[in-house]
Amino acid sequence: MSKADAFTQAGKTAVLQNIHGTLQFLQRFPPFNLMENAHLAFLVEQCQLRFYGQGDSILKPSGGPVEHFYIVKQGRVVGERPLLNQDAAETTFEITTGECFPLAALLGERATRTEHKAAEDTFCLQLNKPAFIKLFALSSPFRDFALRGVSSLLDQVNQQVQQKAVETLGTQYSLNTRLGELAMRHPVTCSPSTPLREAVRLMHEQQVGSIVIVDEHKAPLGIFTLRDLRQVVADGTSDFNQAIEGHMTQAPFYLSPDHSAFDAAIAMTERHIAHVCLVKDQRLCGVVSERDLFSLQRVDLVHLARTIRNAPRVENLVAIRGEIGQLVERMLAHGASSTQITHIITLLNDHTVCRVIELTLADKGDPGVPFSWLCFGSEGRREQTLFTDQDNGILFDAKDAAEADEIRRRLLPLAQQINQSLALCGFSLCKGNIMAGNPELCLSRAEWARRFGAFIREATPENLLGSSIYFDLRVVWGDEQGCEQLRQGILDQVADNRLFQRMLAENALRQRPPVGRWRDFVLTRKGGEKATLDLKVQGLTPFVDGARLLALANGIHANNTLERLRQLVDKEVIERLDGAAYEEAYHFIQQTRMQQHQLQTRENQPYSNRIDPDSLNHLDRRILRESLRQAQRLQSSLTFRYQL
Amino acid sequence: MSLFDWLRTKKPGLDAAQQRRLEQLPKPAVLGDNALRSQRWVVVDLETSGLNLNRDQVLSIGAVVIEDGAVDFAQMFERTLHRAETKLSPSVLIHGLGPSAIAAGSNPVEALLDFMAFVGDSPLLAFHAPFDQHMLYRALKDSLGYRLAHPFLDVADIAPLLCPEANIREAGLDDWISHFKLQVGERHHASADALATAELMLILLSRARQQHIDSPQALQERLRQWKRRKQAPGF
Repeated sequence: MSKADAFTQAGKTAVLQNIHGTLQFLQRFPPFNLMENAHLAFLVEQCQLRFYGQGDSILKPSGGPVEHFYIVKQGRVVGERPLLNQDAAETTFEITTGECFPLAALLGERATRTEHKAAEDTFCLQLNKPAFIKLFALSSPFRDFALRGVSSLLDQVNQQVQQKAVETLGTQYSLNTRLGELAMRHPVTCSPSTPLREAVRLMHEQQVGSIVIVDEHKAPLGIFTLRDLRQVVADGTSDFNQAIEGHMTQAPFYLSPDHSAFDAAIAMTERHIAHVCLVKDQRLCGVVSERDLFSLQRVDLVHLARTIRNAPRVENLVAIRGEIGQLVERMLAHGASSTQITHIITLLNDHTVCRVIELTLADKGDPGVPFSWLCFGSEGRREQTLFTDQDNGILFDAKDAAEADEIRRRLLPLAQQINQSLALCGFSLCKGNIMAGNPELCLSRAEWARRFGAFIREATPENLLGSSIYFDLRVVWGDEQGCEQLRQGILDQVADNRLFQRMLAENALRQRPPVGRWRDFVLTRKGGEKATLDLKVQGLTPFVDGARLLALANGIHANNTLERLRQLVDKEVIERLDGAAYEEAYHFIQQTRMQQHQLQTRENQPYSNRIDPDSLNHLDRRILRESLRQAQRLQSSLTFRYQL
Repeated sequence: MSLFDWLRTKKPGLDAAQQRRLEQLPKPAVLGDNALRSQRWVVVDLETSGLNLNRDQVLSIGAVVIEDGAVDFAQMFERTLHRAETKLSPSVLIHGLGPSAIAAGSNPVEALLDFMAFVGDSPLLAFHAPFDQHMLYRALKDSLGYRLAHPFLDVADIAPLLCPEANIREAGLDDWISHFKLQVGERHHASADALATAELMLILLSRARQQHIDSPQALQERLRQWKRRKQAPGF
């Protein structure tokens, strides 16, 4: 190296120190933390650092195609979209330190659709478009991120959720299981000269999808599966007395019993096969099928449901409840969504309720009058988590008031017994006494209809609260027709009553999502505790209330919040993009809440919906904030719709 | 005084190539009435062997360019100057440049020529500019026989001029950094200080536009008035 070169080199390393500082800053955030250093250094060297004072416009729709990619170094940028028919603008998103914009507009080579403004004094690193394109071509983490935008962040969160759950589960349920442990049954085998018909009969008798053809030393020569049988039939072979040798797949793929379930899964995917032979010392010792691998995840659910439905006594049901908790944890580990999990909890809870009713009827004797067991609230919406109150009632048919009283007298002791048994099974007694054992909730169809009618006509605060619980009614046990008639009655009356809708809308605005216009989270502090927010009341309730109101007003029969949102989109009451955003946001808040409950159970803490956002990692915090902002948007759309 | 200095000091020995580079350096431009945003500024920070204006030496130069209203990461400058005769003094604790770093530094003549080429005809900015201006002036004259005549504005004056509401007296760079809640990384070298000063200057340029100071000339003029007012005895 010449002296001059050495000097330049010294100069270069020195310059790199400033670049290096910025590089280190970026490496705290995705996707930069995944990018190669050389690519990141290229990015930094091409950047300009810009300052925007509070309120300065950074990008606007009238500015033409976007020419730069921005990374917030410090401060906060908000996206503002003008509200229809209003002077005000609504904040649609918020971008803070380490986050980037505007990916969609840059990739689409168009102007941005939302105005980007500095919400406070803000520094942005600005990358010109040619450099962005070059980086896009060079770095695959950067490309993935740019293409998938925030949804790739959501993927990362899901991966983290799964990883966390797997850690607590150990290896028991993972794909690390030894294949030898998985293949419990003796493999079904035959010799090469066995007639086709005989081999298929063996498979049929043993209820298996494959048969292995072995020699006299039990070494596998070939395999014949249901797929091969299909081929034989399709080929028009009529002679099923031919030796199986002519139709088997020769030299089947095999692994040793010490290989893992993961190895088998990979082999099956790669080779498009559904069966793997297990061979030890050249002797066949088992067969693992695709179904065996999947059963790792599925068998528990089926098994649990069956055990619940066949439980001989209430005490057995109590014992099974613990297993539901474990199932939930495993499902989180296998990447189930919060929607899948709430549905499964609801399903198992429904089975438990039905079994409790059946057992009580068997114990106390049949009252001799048909009735339906109703549930309300979250149970009615199929949105239960593991920790749940009873909200239930009874619906029956009666000719007149006298007969209704007579039936009620007969049903009440039964209902009270059911309430007590459910409490034993972990459904806590309802503090507000919304339970079938309460004479006011054990009503004939005419009585229920009268009661619901009063809710809609006289909008007192109690009635509004009542409608938010009872109007999510559903039948768990018994005939469903009476309940559907009640629901139709409610929908007809609400559709006609604009005033009631307005009151419901006001009610739906009571819980404001805890994000400020200019601040991160708006938290409440109680006494000396840490500042927290309530995921259920402040996060989920705005969605639940908003979806209920719009569903009732638009004749939608569904109870489930996500189902209501979907049908509202189909009916074009809400825009498709908005519906999808609400769904994703609701989903994420629910997921966060369930993880928190699992954590609390594990650590023997009392369960709570309050969360300290600081306890979340950077990514989760950011998505939680965006999710709450979606709740805010839903509310502001109600404000506009009902002119509140 | 400069005339006297010039008479006393003999021309340092430059080789032919260095002499040619020296002659090709552009003349400094006067601050004009062009738009403030279009002005190219060079923000500079020096590490020196001490605070004595006549005895201590420039050890390293860090500089950052503000152009088109933004700090351009593609244009950054930092050189550590090779100083054979530097003695280890307590100020090594401040600038953090140990004898080994200085021994490994660039030839001061080359480094200063590089720096002046980097500056071009642009005005200079520094925090507590008179110190940097003086040290740089001396270094350029001793090593190159060059007379620094570039406009030199003091960010420590511009800040209180444009942000009187901050109401911090005799504020240092750290005070302004915390006033604007600037998140700057580790500042162990001249270029990091230059970058921090440049970030502060970006905020100040935005303030200047809000206050309808639209050109570099206007900024210089306002600064002059403000300093005169500050020095005038109160009634």
